[in-house]
Amino acid sequence: MKKINLQNDIKNNENTQKTIIPIIYSYKEKRDKLLNEEQKEKFCEELRKIKEKSINNIVKLKKETIKNLSNQGINVIEAQTVKDAINIIKKIIGKEKTIIKSKSNTITEINLENALKNKKIIETDLGDFIIQLFKEKGIHPVLPSFHLTPKEISKKIKEKFNININPNPKEIVCFVRNILREKIFNAKIGITGANVISSDGSIFILENEGNISLISRIPEKHIILTSFDKIVETREEALKIIRASSIFGTGQDYPVYVNIISGPSKTADIENEIISGAQGAKEVYLILLDNKRTTILNSKFKELLYCINCGACLNFCPVYHQIFSRYGAKYFPGAKGVISSFFKESEKDAFNNGAFFCTTCQQCKENCPMKINLSDLIRDLRKELVKQQIEPSSITEMIDNVKKFGNPFGKIDTNKKPDKLYCC
Amino acid sequence: MGILNFFGGNVLYYPGCLTKIVAKDLEENYKKILNKIGIDFIMLKDLEVCCGNPVLNSGHEKEARELVEKNFKLFKERAVKKIITNCPACFHMFKSNYPRFIKNWDIKVEHITQTIAKAIKDGKINPKNFNHDITYHDPCHLGRYEKIYEEPREIIKKSGNLKEMKLTKNYSFCCGGGSGVKSNYPELANSIAKERIKMAKETNAKMLCTSCPMCYLNLKENSKEIDVKEISQFFFDEKNNKQKLK
Ligand code: SF4
Repeated sequence: MKKINLQNDIKNNENTQKTIIPIIYSYKEKRDKLLNEEQKEKFCEELRKIKEKSINNIVKLKKETIKNLSNQGINVIEAQTVKDAINIIKKIIGKEKTIIKSKSNTITEINLENALKNKKIIETDLGDFIIQLFKEKGIHPVLPSFHLTPKEISKKIKEKFNININPNPKEIVCFVRNILREKIFNAKIGITGANVISSDGSIFILENEGNISLISRIPEKHIILTSFDKIVETREEALKIIRASSIFGTGQDYPVYVNIISGPSKTADIENEIISGAQGAKEVYLILLDNKRTTILNSKFKELLYCINCGACLNFCPVYHQIFSRYGAKYFPGAKGVISSFFKESEKDAFNNGAFFCTTCQQCKENCPMKINLSDLIRDLRKELVKQQIEPSSITEMIDNVKKFGNPFGKIDTNKKPDKLYCC
Repeated sequence: MGILNFFGGNVLYYPGCLTKIVAKDLEENYKKILNKIGIDFIMLKDLEVCCGNPVLNSGHEKEARELVEKNFKLFKERAVKKIITNCPACFHMFKSNYPRFIKNWDIKVEHITQTIAKAIKDGKINPKNFNHDITYHDPCHLGRYEKIYEEPREIIKKSGNLKEMKLTKNYSFCCGGGSGVKSNYPELANSIAKERIKMAKETNAKMLCTSCPMCYLNLKENSKEIDVKEISQFFFDEKNNKQKLK
């Protein structure tokens, strides 16, 4: 495999590191205040049980979900591939030109912006709005723009809108709010992701900003793109996952808003006749994207489907701290992204995304609400890659040494220190 | 060092490849420490082979299993009843992975900080006193993997005032050297080590101590700011490397 050198990536991320690390510490402080170690362990155990039970029973739960949501008037469509999902979305959008969108890893996964080049996609989440201005990729699944300073942002606004905004967060928020409001109120199509779906018939989307509440109410059509691994059995369980997403995602106990959507807006106020589209969306579409998730479900990497996308695994990952979005896939950074790219892209992509960057330190597992052992999964991934001789050359040397000399360093020369430390 | 004892079983001191080949002074230190404690131990010397941990981490499970079999045979031939090692990676490998691979694995495994902490309690040995603040870096394989947090701290507390870093114990921040990163992407391993050094520096401690040869070598290489020590060095005078007598 072509040798990877990360020196430039490390250098280019020096400033990012300086900006982000204090934010991460304050996140941990907030999180620790909400749950002490003992409470955290107990909560995680409960969460893990919920997800284990759901994923083990997912085929049945999915059927039930589709049945219940369809009965309540939601159009549920399954998409096997990214292409399928895009075609479905295109069909729903029809001739409309503008789509308002919220932050979603699944939408990033299908690279919607690229597929709808002839349409205007408006990011309504502040972080994503900023990222879009900078034409960058988000750095974190929950906090995509947290590496940019107010100064950089107001400079960009000046460039794009020719308006002077003082470089302080308050004024930036106020400016974006005004621009977006107008766009949101004129939009006919909105697209969001979802955090959880309960098989008893509700879709849960959490947020702080209020943009998702608007997207799901103002336009005529609300498209929800997500995947079947978000399904749990009951609404009670779903709310626990929502709380976990909030605590582990941002260090707050509960998000400002939890949108619970169980059908299109409706009224029966006139002669008891049910009419949909009272004030909220007239049509709600739920697209369940597979894109290799069934393959993951039936593999030894099943644990990956317990993930709730909170990003806690990245926050203290030593590799992420040095190179940020260079580590992982476009749609998800870090070890989870690397493993996903093995399924969704190729072995080589998994290698280039960093299959051998991980120090298997297990910090991710310690922070993950689902206790997903990404270090073990990375080891399993490496097993698959080395079978195809996809490995860094140092590993090939190390294995040769072990076979010939019984140790990773090779022939022992008592006068010389080995120049490569192959352990451990 | 002891003579082979086929009846009662032997205690094996297993330094592991990194200590044996690169951090040789640590091996010397530990042999002296074990002698001082009065533990009768054997070593495999030239027959010692890799425990298999780096091989397993690299994804070469077949080759790792071969090493496991080889080692188990060697241990059995020498009637090993207990392994003491100073390397957290070897420790984790013997303690948690060997029992997964070998059904009749019945050998006790101890990390040397456990051996030493006990000896201190029994009054058999004492580290020297530095009279200043020391911070401790938990090696991932010893801490998060094997939940050994207290014994190294007990030793350090005998030597000075322990000052914890922001990320410690189960949240300890990796030194960056593990799982082959130090040889596959040294620039990454070094950058991570530098971040860890910054955390150590923030405690204002004079010394950063660890109990893993890889963490020690990687942190030391990347530290200009703070003195990095491996825990066995607490028992010796800097210059003549003579064991400090209690
Ligand atoms: S792997 Fe765990 S910590 Fe990481 S995003 Fe998923 S649920 Fe959160």
